[in-house]
Amino acid sequence: MSDFAGMEDLLQDFLVEANDLLSDVDNKLVDLERTPDDRGLLNDIFRGFHTIKGGAGFLNATELVTLCHLTENLFDRLRNGELVVTHEVMDVILSATAAVRDMFHSLERGIQPAPADAELIRHLKLAIAGTLAAEEAHAGGGNLVERVQAVGAADKVDWTALYQAITGKAPAAAKAAAPQAAAHHDDDDYTPRSPEEIMAHPFGRRVADKPGYGGPTGRREGERQRDTSIRLDTARLDQVLNLSGEIGLTKNRLTSLRSDILNGATDTETLQALDAAVSQLDLLVSDLQNAVMKTRMQPIGRLFQKYPRIARDLARGLGKDVELMLAGEETEIDKTMIEDLADPIIHLIRNAVDHGVESPEERRAAGKPEKSIVRLEARQEGDHIVLLVADDGRGMNAERLRAKALEKGLISDEEANTMDERQSFNLIFLPGFSTKAEVSDVSGRGVGMDVVKTNIQKLNGTIDIKSVQGKGTTFIISLPLTLAILPVLVVCLGDQPLAVPLSMVREILPVTAQDVQEVGGRATMVVRGEVLPVFPLSYLLGWPQERVPAYGVLMQTAELAFILAIDSFAGREDAVIKSLDDFRPKGVAGVTTLSNGQIVLILDMKELLGALGESRGVSRTIFLPKLPAAA
Amino acid sequence: MSDVKMKFLVVDDFSTMRRIVRNLLKELGFVNVDEAEDGAVALQKLNSQHFDFVVTDWNMPNMDGMQLLQAIRSNPQLKHLPVLMITAEAKRENIIAAAQAGASGYIVKPFTAATLSEKLTKIFEKMQKAAA
Repeated sequence: MSDFAGMEDLLQDFLVEANDLLSDVDNKLVDLERTPDDRGLLNDIFRGFHTIKGGAGFLNATELVTLCHLTENLFDRLRNGELVVTHEVMDVILSATAAVRDMFHSLERGIQPAPADAELIRHLKLAIAGTLAAEEAHAGGGNLVERVQAVGAADKVDWTALYQAITGKAPAAAKAAAPQAAAHHDDDDYTPRSPEEIMAHPFGRRVADKPGYGGPTGRREGERQRDTSIRLDTARLDQVLNLSGEIGLTKNRLTSLRSDILNGATDTETLQALDAAVSQLDLLVSDLQNAVMKTRMQPIGRLFQKYPRIARDLARGLGKDVELMLAGEETEIDKTMIEDLADPIIHLIRNAVDHGVESPEERRAAGKPEKSIVRLEARQEGDHIVLLVADDGRGMNAERLRAKALEKGLISDEEANTMDERQSFNLIFLPGFSTKAEVSDVSGRGVGMDVVKTNIQKLNGTIDIKSVQGKGTTFIISLPLTLAILPVLVVCLGDQPLAVPLSMVREILPVTAQDVQEVGGRATMVVRGEVLPVFPLSYLLGWPQERVPAYGVLMQTAELAFILAIDSFAGREDAVIKSLDDFRPKGVAGVTTLSNGQIVLILDMKELLGALGESRGVSRTIFLPKLPAAA
Repeated sequence: MSDVKMKFLVVDDFSTMRRIVRNLLKELGFVNVDEAEDGAVALQKLNSQHFDFVVTDWNMPNMDGMQLLQAIRSNPQLKHLPVLMITAEAKRENIIAAAQAGASGYIVKPFTAATLSEKLTKIFEKMQKAAA
């Protein structure tokens, strides 16, 4: 399955370190654009690629070696002043960096990277030869190719002589070493590939972005096998150590108190000491939980770092002038979430630059500055992290969105007429919705926004849109601080408690037989004018219906709002999720222990609803008594 | 000479690479290995502790492998230390520069334990000859 059997540890180490290096390179590249002849910067970037190349060699990642080698050669000439950083060269460098990152993604999945885009390799070679601009001017003269090859040839090395020079040894050893060296040198030779071969390695959007891609369904399972290690400030680790030490001391205190009490000590003093020790333990344990949780927290800035580049590339490609402003980079968020947020945020930035921001002409006509600002902001609000992607573009037109959705058959006439502004904005999250008449290269393929929403929901988060026409659009993502703790609502069927994610719960209402109507063979209930299907939890679980449900929990998933009919509820809890790794019954996301020690299943509502199949309805006769005949 | 108790200093700014080299040395039976993340740190260690062998990367921040090599060769206490240069660079001028600066050997990434062993053996042979 993996191309790296036996090297997993090495691969993980490499990826952690190389990703950091590449982010650093990325930042330096943005600086380089401002100060193109800064030798120090050029040197640092050169070394970055060089180091990545060296590590990649040991992983046999030939394509990554080739790409880094060429980029490094380019920087070698730049730092030696043989070439200058022009816009064209910069673009090639940026594409090369992006391609390196793509290769990392491939490595993260345990797959040897496919060769870089042939066009990119060609441009790199032209840049190294210093003929990039010329080539761009008169597209591809034959003599240029020869010149590039000549440059390659000039690089050839007499290996025998070199080995002799350095080892002073017999040519036999040199010969033995030669094939390896020659293989290394072959990296420089660009072998043309047929269009079919190039098509076989599509460049750009990843498979996982496509609709219908069977991506992860559960929260953690199916998560890409990647970067499972973490870099940690030792101060945080010390804190954990310190707290566990103090807990040890408190435990000793309790042990001694226990023996006192077992020996009959019941005086107030002993009991007070017991009370104090338990309170102390209570405090320490919750501190420890927080401290351990903190070890998973990473500043979101590490994720933000790469976006200014992406925004800049996109804007340039679209002929727009966009600056991405970052704020709140120091905000900390659970590490696994950082990784899962990367793609959704890219989509939102793409969306803002492509759809949100107007063309320079349009902006001038509207009396706005030509340069537009897209803000990417993170902040902590209570036990939530809020992320904003805000543009100062044209804003969203609710009417146009409705018309588009209607035209595409995504909503009915009736739905279109009753939608308010917010509901209309949310139409863009429907699969298959894309408002641009022209499908652009950047976004607008109608995939993306629905994927964004699904991904955010997988993290138990929500996404909301605020938009003012002519002023701009803001996407607001709200996420729990961590995935390890899930706020749940504990509901009961008979005596059996079961937990549902609180993030999906809108409200709890009493359910009476009279409220539930049968519409088209489905039990429904009207809540403030909204007709909602009613699903009895017992039916979803396939349990016998023992009582008439007394309560309904109004829940909201990406696709649907519904009422979950239950017998009673016990309240909210912060569940520490234990996953059922080897044994996962359908519809169960994990288990948790309540404060009273009882073990409770946490339900996976999506999976349970899936069991309903296409009908998406339950007849009321299944769970409710017949209504008395209307008088 | 190729005593398994020999103490190696592996110098590289990329910790993954230090680990690779350390593992390869371990495969060859050399377990007495210390690490440094650049030439400056390496030189400090060389001045304060005893080492028998230096394996260094070329490209590093602060003080690169070439500067380290020059520093070693110009220090009367250290100048006899064997220094094996490791780099991803296979250019002739680099190899020659390394040879001129007094590198005992030069090895191009990526390499296997066998290649490393071969280089080490050669360096040991040379040292024995010089000592004889």
